Formats: sequence, C-alpha cells, structure tokens
Amino acid sequence: MLLTSLVLGSATLIANPTGATTAGPVQPDLFALRVGTAETISQGTIPNAVILVEGGRIVMVGEDLPVERGIPTLDFPDAVVMPGIVGSRSRIGLEGRAGTDITPELSAAFELDPGSGDFAKVLEHGVTTLGLYPSGGGVPGVAIAVRTKGGTLDRMLLSEPSYLQMYMSSNESAKRLIDKSFELVDEYMEDVEKEREKFEKEKEKEKSKSKRDEMVFQPPVPDEKTLPMVRLVTGDLRAVMGIRKASDYLHLMDVLDQRDYEFEFDVQASLFDDGDLFYVADRLGASGRRVIVNPSITQHPGTRRERNLPKELNDAGCPLAFVPSSDSASGYEDLLLEVANLMRYGLDRQVALRALTLEGAHVLGLEDELGSIDAGKYANLLLFDGDPFAVETELLGVMLEGEFVAGDLAE
Amino acid sequence: MKKITLLSAAAVLAPAALSAAPAPAPIAAPAPLVDDEDADEPEDEWHLVEGGDVYTGTGAVLRGASILIKNGVIDEIGYDLFVPEEAERTDVSGYRVYPGLVALGATSRVTVGRFAAEDPSWAVDPLSDPDEWMYGFDDLEPTVDDEGFRSRYIDSYDPFSPYMTLALANGITACEQSGAAFKLRRDGIEGVVMNEDTTVGFSMRGSSKSNTRDAFREAARYLREMAAWQRRGEPDDEEPSSRGIDRNAVRVLRNEVRASFVAEDRLTLLAIAELAQDFGFNPIVQGAREGWIVADELGRAGSIVVLDPRARSWNDPESLYQSGSSIENAAILHAAGCQVAVRTPSSSIDTGGIAGRDLLSLNLQAGYAIRGGLSEQAALEAITIVPARILGVDHRVGSIEVGKDADLLVTRGDILHYETLVELAFVAGDIAYDKTKELFYAHIRPHEITADLEADAAAEAEANGEEEGEDGDASDDGDDD
Repeated sequence: MLLTSLVLGSATLIANPTGATTAGPVQPDLFALRVGTAETISQGTIPNAVILVEGGRIVMVGEDLPVERGIPTLDFPDAVVMPGIVGSRSRIGLEGRAGTDITPELSAAFELDPGSGDFAKVLEHGVTTLGLYPSGGGVPGVAIAVRTKGGTLDRMLLSEPSYLQMYMSSNESAKRLIDKSFELVDEYMEDVEKEREKFEKEKEKEKSKSKRDEMVFQPPVPDEKTLPMVRLVTGDLRAVMGIRKASDYLHLMDVLDQRDYEFEFDVQASLFDDGDLFYVADRLGASGRRVIVNPSITQHPGTRRERNLPKELNDAGCPLAFVPSSDSASGYEDLLLEVANLMRYGLDRQVALRALTLEGAHVLGLEDELGSIDAGKYANLLLFDGDPFAVETELLGVMLEGEFVAGDLAE
Repeated sequence: MKKITLLSAAAVLAPAALSAAPAPAPIAAPAPLVDDEDADEPEDEWHLVEGGDVYTGTGAVLRGASILIKNGVIDEIGYDLFVPEEAERTDVSGYRVYPGLVALGATSRVTVGRFAAEDPSWAVDPLSDPDEWMYGFDDLEPTVDDEGFRSRYIDSYDPFSPYMTLALANGITACEQSGAAFKLRRDGIEGVVMNEDTTVGFSMRGSSKSNTRDAFREAARYLREMAAWQRRGEPDDEEPSSRGIDRNAVRVLRNEVRASFVAEDRLTLLAIAELAQDFGFNPIVQGAREGWIVADELGRAGSIVVLDPRARSWNDPESLYQSGSSIENAAILHAAGCQVAVRTPSSSIDTGGIAGRDLLSLNLQAGYAIRGGLSEQAALEAITIVPARILGVDHRVGSIEVGKDADLLVTRGDILHYETLVELAFVAGDIAYDKTKELFYAHIRPHEITADLEADAAAEAEANGEEEGEDGDASDDGDDD
C-alpha cells in the first residue's frame, strides 16, 4: 500500500527481518562467519575475513578478527563471500498490464503476488533484494524494493517508493508526456505561491503580535498524482529513465533543459546488437549518470564487431548497475556467467562486483542498508566455494539478514 | 535468452576507431571581467579550411583558396586571410571543396531511423514498449523548437542514425522530408530544421485541372478586390469575403510559398505552363518526363523542374505528337530557360538496382543529365543550389558563398565522377563525416593527404621528363577537371 506522508517526508523503511524459518536448525542471533575471502565491495577484498553478525545485521568485518569466546563461529576456510545480488529493476512476481500514461501515484506493490514461486527461485541464485517496477509506459508509477522472501507484502517490503519510473523516446508524444508530468509540479508551485500570498495578507491583518508569531505557513498538500513529482524535484525521490537509443538521451536533456528542476535520475537501457549508446557515453559520464544495463557484449551497428558497452560507459564515468538480459529466474541463474564474460572482455572485477550489489542498492536508495559488507548493513551474504565468476563454482549458501535461506547450508 | 559463449580473450575494437565525428568541445564562456552579462556571451568558434580548390557552385573556381568559417557560417573565402589564433585548421591542399548536396524527397530514416530492426520482445519490457506511444495525445499545441519550427521530425531527430552517416558519405548535407528542409547535423538535435512549409501541392491532372484553374481565378479576383478595398481606405463594411477562396492559391499569388505540381505527360505539362503564365507565378514541376517536348512553354513560365534524368518510358507510336522520355530532357529544358533540379528515382537508402537507384546515387543522377547534354555547371547546380531554392533555403545552403552555412564536401576529384568518394563533410562548420573514421568506405583508397601530393608530384615529374625534348611552354597540368 502506498503510505501517505507529509509533503517532504522520506521514504518509509520497514526494518523487520523475516519471520520464522521454514525448517532446519535455528540460527543463532549473534554469530561470526569466518571465510577465506570476503568481497566487501566498499573496502575491497579481505582475505581470511571474519564477519560478525547480530540481529540480522553486520556488526563488524575485518581480517582475522579475534572472536570472543562463546560466540558461535561458522568456519568456511575456502569460501568466498560477497553481498547478496541486488536486482534493481525487475518484474519478477508482478502481474499486470498498463498503457502509456502519467500515473506517478501508482505503485508496483499493487501488482505484487507475494506468493509467487519465482522469488524463492531467484533467492536460490543469490538474489536477496529486488527492485520491482510498475508496468506501463510514460510515467507509470513508483517502484518498490523487496527482500526475496516473506510470503506477504508486509514481510517482503523494504522500501516504497524506491524510485519513480519514467520513459523517454525520440518522438513528439513521449517528450510531451514527460513535459506534462512536470507541469503538475508547475501548477502545484503556483498554488503554493497563491496560498503563501493569502497567508501573508492574513498575517498582516492579524493585530496581535503574539498570534502573528505563532502563524506558520502550511503549504497545501499536493494531490496523490502530484506528490511523487514534487518529491522528485525536491530531491526526496530518485527517478529511473528508460531509454532505448543514444538520441533518446539527447531528447531527454532537451525536455529537462527547458525547466529549471534538478533531480537525480539513473538511466536504464537494454544493450543489444546494433545498439548505439556509446555515442552518448561521454555525455552520460560527464554527468556521472548511473546506467542500469544488461551485462552483454553487443555488436557495433551494422557490423559484427563486438563492443563492450558496459565497460565503455564505465570508463567514461558512469557507475554501472547490472540486471540480467532476461528478467526471470533463469536470467538470474546465468547472471554471474554473463558478467564473467564481460570481465573476459576487459571489465574490472571490482566494478563488476559493485554493479551486482552496491550500485543496485543506490538505484533503490538503500545504499546505507545493503549492497556491501559493512558494519550496520543487513547481513545479506552469498557463500561460494570458489571465485563467484568461475564456471565450476557452487553457491553454498544464501544468507538473508543473518539466516541461511537457500543453498545447501539452509538445510 | 542470450547464449553465453566462452570466448578467448578477443581484442575489442578500440572505440576511438569506431566512433563517429566526436562531439565538439563545449564552448567556454570567458571569465567575467566586468559585467555578469559578458559571462553569457560564448566565444566565437573559428575554423579554417585551407588550400583546396574551391568550387563555389556559382561557377567560380578558386584554386588553392581558403575558407574561413565563423560559428558555422562562411565568413570569408579567398587567399591570405587573417585567421584568429584559436581557429581550428583543416588542410585540404590537393583536394577539392564543393558545396554540400541537397537531396529532395529523402526517406525519413535518414534523420530518424537506424539499422537492423531490433527484436523488442526480449530487449524491452513489452508492456512498456516505447514504439507504442506514437498515438494517444489529441490535445496541446505541437512542440515548437527555438526557431519556431513545428516539424514533427524535430522530436524524432537522431543524429546518430547510420543512414545519416551514409547520406553524408555520399555528399548529402541537407535533405527534404515531408516538406521540411533538414540539415544533417551530428552534433546534437538543435538547429536541424531550416524551413518548413516549403511548397504547396496542386494538381492539373485530368478533372482537377478545371478545379485548380477556378481556385486560382477566384484567388486572383479576391486579391484584386483586396487591393481595391485597401486603395479605398479599408472601409469597414466592404471587406471582400474570403469564403470559398483557396488560401494556398492566394499564398502562391502573393509569392509567400511556391506551387508544386506533379506531371509527366505533355498535355498536363502544357496545362501547368499555361496556368502559370496566366496567373504569373513560377511553378515547380516534379517529374516532367515529357518536358523536352514542351520545353519552350515551360521555359516561358519560368518553371523549376525536378526530374529524374534516368527515367524511361516508350513513346506512343500511334500518337501524332512526340512522346516518351529522352536522355536530353534536362539539357533541353535548361536551354529553354527552366531551372533544373535532379532527384533520385528512389528516396530510400538501399542496395537495389544497377549502379544504385537510391538516395545515395544523387551525383550519378546528375551524371546522367550531363550524358544527355546538360553542362557540368548546370548539373552541379541541379543537386545543390536549385533544390535549395525549391526548399526556400538557398540563402543558407547550396553554394559556397560568404554568409551561407559552411556545408562543404572535400573530395579527391570531381564530385560528379562515379569513382569519387567524399573524404570530409562539413555541416554547419563542424566535420560531420570523416571517411577514415567511419566504417563504410575507410578501406577504399585510404590515403594521407601528403602522400597524395607526393604521388601527384612524382607523376607530374615523370610526365615532364618525357616531354623534355619539347621546348617552351609546358602543357598545362593535364588535369581533366
């Protein structure tokens, strides 16, 4: 459900960990995990790492930390640990259709089927967090962030709204639509001005000074359609702009340049053969625009020459967030191998790891809660028996907020 | 779903080699010295194209001349120009410089399209496929760009379209799409429409003939009445009614827009010529395949003909009159006083037909006209200044003259020769196409400029050496320009 909030309230965070486990031994609330290597993302690779977990959150992480006697320790001397995969843009577990319209008040939560078996499947493949976006074109609504286990919306929801989904295309109607959606904000700002003028007049009329001092201007509450747009331009909400080709970005900037609003947004594009996103790589990089892309090697337009567009975008200055080429359980099954392929073509390992985890968290606005192995964050961890990007490596266990929920270790 | 193939460390082609003409460096505002207003003034961008043989398109040839470009507009042409220090220089010594070609009736893919159709089903969420958004907005004013143009192609303009690169590779720097005149700029989406509403179409075929005549007659009568009314001081009650008057015909008679007709056969052409002479305007005639038969009349009407010199049709053996096509069509019409523009048989970009029949064969088309007797200068004009005149943008493109946009082609030889490839194409003063940097023709006769000059010098020295026996005035360079 979309929780109403004051004009400038922040996104609501629900911090309850998951409910009772399904089967297996009860996980201790406080324990230490000792592993061969930890890919922390934020602090690089730590050998012989010790991760202390309490109440579903990471308390401490370091190399060869001494563990107090009495704290249960789980030893995996050959294991490699990385944060759980964050799929920032997905429609797994959602059912719905929509047309093209301006409906920022709608949420992906309306389409959620919490009982969908797909969540358990992607959890098996290491996806601990998903960003679910609403269907439809134009400005279809806001996305939500969920943990991939829980069975009900309440137990799964991590944050709502996570970002506002918008689409741009190189044609008149798409540009006009985006323009219209910002007109909502213009109208609201005008209303605020009118109310403020009224308020000022009333304040002047008030003879008693003490009463005057008590009068505080209350801006009108925007209606549900305008509210997300207002939050967008006040910096309270991020957006994700879906584009398809390079010129879409130019036309997007054309529309946005005509208004003074500044807001944060990430760019999402599907990379495919004949894609020409590289033409705007330097423009994207100059603004430090995060790009949400699939980790694919694609062919230069009209040729068979291969290009590593994710690497090129990253080199130009764009942070990368990966989503699989196929938004499905099997897509997530192959995700690590897809990324491994990209690394063979030159993508940096740490960039790749970050793109699977922390950058996805940034998209969802949850970079303080998950995405890396840092004190204070959720203990969402993946345990591999080797390099996560190697073909022969097995995923031993998936830990969701301090509890093994998938893989052999869950049993 | 994509299959993951395990490849060995394949080298990825360096993006630099593949990228098109890089975006120009952003204009830096000078540091504010006194006022804040100064900070908003961008610095002038200068570019010098020096040393080439400049074929201005007006008939003049300046050998070894330089062109100074300021902010995308030609500032000076000549020798020993004063060039600001910060100017970018491009040395084209030994090459020729031509005005960019203007293509009539181009496919929209040039400014909008892209190569292979992508399969949208797996790449994009089908529920939000942007291609479905073309419809659904009835209200609101159409978007207007900085110069007030409302062309619906402005918002679809794609400066990265591979079709545009191909068009530039074949010398086309401006084109017409659905009545709007576009510049093929690659540095952004601004300033690409030069003119809209270029011509108004009328028909003189068959039954429409009398309707069109009536329309013009009524329009002329209306204009006469308006003039009389204005002479009387515009009394309120007596303003002539414009009901039932064809607005377009009025605009044509007022010289606000050009009238365009489509006609191939002799009789329709005669009717058009008559109409134009009766009502005093210069018609644009598209097709004019049998124009050579009635060239005198069309010439008297001051027509601008847009023809395909390669078009063929048999004469009618049972007719008492001449009929059918003629390779000499362009030449005869030109001699009779018509302005001749050339267009390609097909507006698309494809590989069908012998020696190409698509948009990219524009210079070949002019070659066919020359084969039929048209002079080379007129043939060059037929693909540059005359189409620009038709589109109403001849004050901006179509020839290399001071004050016009710097739309230039740098070639190794005669632009009308079928073997000539465009080396560089400038659009609005920026290099929009560089043969060595694009993938299409970079492998055909690649060369560096200095290597060419040495080869030419060596060839010349050889030729002179053979003639050592002969005395005195050496023959000229032997260049068959």
